[in-house]
Amino acid sequence: MVIEQLQYTITSRYNFPQIMQNTELNKKLIEASLNTMHNVREKTFQPFETRLLENLEQNNQQVLQQKLEGKTISTFLTPLKAIEDHTPIIGIDVSGIRLGETETGILCAIRGAIVWNQNQKYKYLRIGPFPFHITEENKQELFSHFENNILQEINTNHTPLFEAIGKLCNQVERWIQTAIAYSASESIILWDGSLTAGTSGNTVNEISYILRTARKHGNAILAFTKVTTIRFLGWKITDIIVNHEPPCLFEVDELPLSITKNTNLLGRIYVANLASHGSTFRLDIDKGLSKEDNIMAVQRLLGNELLFQGYPECLRLAHIYSTFTANDVIGIQSFLAHEYGLRIVPRNNMRKTLFGPYGTGLDD
Amino acid sequence: MRIFKKVGNTLHVLSFPGEEVEKGGYLIVEDKKLGKSMIAQVIDIQFANVPGMMEELLRSPNTDEVAQGEDSDPLDIMSHILYIQDARLLICKIYGTLVDGKICPDNNWLPSRTHSSVKKLPTETLLNLAGITKGLLIDLGVTHDKAPLSIDACEMDGRLNIITGKKGTGKSHLSKLLVLGLVQHGATVVILDINGEYTNLGLTEDGTKTENFEKIHVLSPGENFKVTLYQTNLYVIMRILTYALNLPGTSAREFRHIWRALEESGTVTLHELGGAINRSKCNQHVRDAMYSRYYAMVHSGFFTDNMAEAVDLEALLKKIENNGGGAIVINLSNTSPTDRQIVVEFVLAKLQEILSQWKIKAAFLFAEEAHLYLRETYWDDAVTRMRHYGLFTTFVTNQPNTINENIYRQADNIFLLNFVNEHDLEIVSRAARVDAETAVSIVRDLPPHHCLVLGKVVKDFPIIVKIKPLNIQTLGKTRYFFKERKNVD
Repeated sequence: MVIEQLQYTITSRYNFPQIMQNTELNKKLIEASLNTMHNVREKTFQPFETRLLENLEQNNQQVLQQKLEGKTISTFLTPLKAIEDHTPIIGIDVSGIRLGETETGILCAIRGAIVWNQNQKYKYLRIGPFPFHITEENKQELFSHFENNILQEINTNHTPLFEAIGKLCNQVERWIQTAIAYSASESIILWDGSLTAGTSGNTVNEISYILRTARKHGNAILAFTKVTTIRFLGWKITDIIVNHEPPCLFEVDELPLSITKNTNLLGRIYVANLASHGSTFRLDIDKGLSKEDNIMAVQRLLGNELLFQGYPECLRLAHIYSTFTANDVIGIQSFLAHEYGLRIVPRNNMRKTLFGPYGTGLDD
Repeated sequence: MRIFKKVGNTLHVLSFPGEEVEKGGYLIVEDKKLGKSMIAQVIDIQFANVPGMMEELLRSPNTDEVAQGEDSDPLDIMSHILYIQDARLLICKIYGTLVDGKICPDNNWLPSRTHSSVKKLPTETLLNLAGITKGLLIDLGVTHDKAPLSIDACEMDGRLNIITGKKGTGKSHLSKLLVLGLVQHGATVVILDINGEYTNLGLTEDGTKTENFEKIHVLSPGENFKVTLYQTNLYVIMRILTYALNLPGTSAREFRHIWRALEESGTVTLHELGGAINRSKCNQHVRDAMYSRYYAMVHSGFFTDNMAEAVDLEALLKKIENNGGGAIVINLSNTSPTDRQIVVEFVLAKLQEILSQWKIKAAFLFAEEAHLYLRETYWDDAVTRMRHYGLFTTFVTNQPNTINENIYRQADNIFLLNFVNEHDLEIVSRAARVDAETAVSIVRDLPPHHCLVLGKVVKDFPIIVKIKPLNIQTLGKTRYFFKERKNVD
């Protein structure tokens, strides 16, 4: 009775646009990862409890205030018709996770996923995971590593270490988005988040460059925001068109907006209700495209993509493939222990130590 | 491998891909600081409960799934993740502690989780440590790690044994192996052969005689196995009438008078017995009861008045013992259920008589599907009285529920072949010589011709063995109607 051991084989390659393979991205990421990791050898580290780990989601949304000025909601509503023309749909997402703390910094890992739908077939490319050891000493150097003519330098001198992970995530995401904007053509590229520049880690130049590159190759960039904080007359904008017949777009951009200082809206803001019984989402579409092209892009998305609860399947899969499970975390911790001789030290739970069963935290 | 936890006599060990461990194999947990090692058997192999596995599996694409893709993982971290995913939890039962090269049954200590080493214990090493390889050896076959397993025939001496497993798993094959092993070591073996499958024990597959040919004596009741009433004393005949033919008490008393009268006149023959019953001045019903039993005896063909064609069982047993062992195969395949009971009662009563008078030293009795011919009370006799007389029984059955529960509790050696039925597993798990969990978990997954050996023959270390083939004519095989078609396919 031999219990069969599994044989691991390399996944066969798929015909993803060649540019993605040639990009410097992988090289840059490995270099950045290894540069930060070299100072971690033989250190001790305290892993975060797996169940407390959360994927670092970017929350770059700003609070906007709107006034209707006598118009009715239907004025801003555009009914949509699906256009089925085999347009490739590409979803991009990046996740980061905190793995633990060392004496001098924090350990994290980042992974990106690109999912594309071509002729009803979904394919994906996962990049990573890449572990990073971010310390006060190396954080500026780490971000400088990603500098080039396009992606501007980020000043991280005053960024707390935990926020640095989010910024790193953003940076990697922008790299992937740039590569896709450049390599894909006549496609619809889906981002997770918004097209707002000026918030932490999202410079106007960066995003403008990516949008410009995408346009040059005939692509349209659509950014879906799952949870928005924008309210209109006290209502969340995503609740306004819930009762309208889908698929439809609600043009928030038409409303007079008072925008938070230092933010630049590089996309037109819509609320999209794309499927019956689905949810509504804030949808930002490249402002560099005409309004007609914006609507056309959404109609092509409708005709060529599966929508789950009104959310594009490519983007949903990209999130699933990039996100870290508890199992991933244990695997990466095991990698760190093997490769860098990190000694794992159990985390001391101060609440439990002090209050015993009378703590008020979730883990008490 | 790393120790995960210990609960009672159960040890949980984490093992990783590449550390090939098999169900039934042994591990040794060595704690060098304490200077002792724990010996444990793997009874089940499960996946380790790795957090996030469900999410991982749900998103991992299968080859035929909608999403296909590739991982660009230059640091090869995925291999570590997959390594963790395939971590296994070995459920082990602790069977002793090794201190200074000697095994003792102490399980009440905890090896260190951090500095203990967990390794596979080769079966050969275990056999040597436990001293299983000494004595009068009967070669059973090989273990999972190709170590030859031989048991000491002395450990079957004076013992109660059970061979059980579902149909077609090789019970009879194992039974024949044990019979031949005992015979080769000079033992006297009596086999109650319900299907006539031991009759060619002395012949090879191509029909040539084996070295044991002269030692195998096949007795077919009514053919070459007949007895006279003269050889059959009152004790034996009363057992036949009472247990096999259900003669009521009053009639038995009357029969006893008739028998004694015939003994006094020196005319204990079938013919005279019939006449005496006919002539007896007793109640008509009593006479009819005696006469119907008399006719059953006559029609069995087992009794004869011809001394020349009668078999002297006592003389045959003595001859076997004096000639260095042998087996008497009582071929019950062509006998009716009543006749079978008559023959079995005769053989058992005669054996008991011979043994109690120390005419032979001892005998090993192999009883296949014993519930078909043994009376209820024999089960208790087997456990209590028979072994004191020197009759050591081995029950062979594919219906474990037909063997009395006491037999399982008292059995010294149990040879378990595959069972999948929960009810059967529950019954065999009652055996006192093994932990119930071990029996159920291992036996369920045993392939055909693999046997879990439990008890004194393996010094109470359960060992899985692949039973070796035998070059003898196997008559225990199922006969098929569509055999030719099967061969063509």
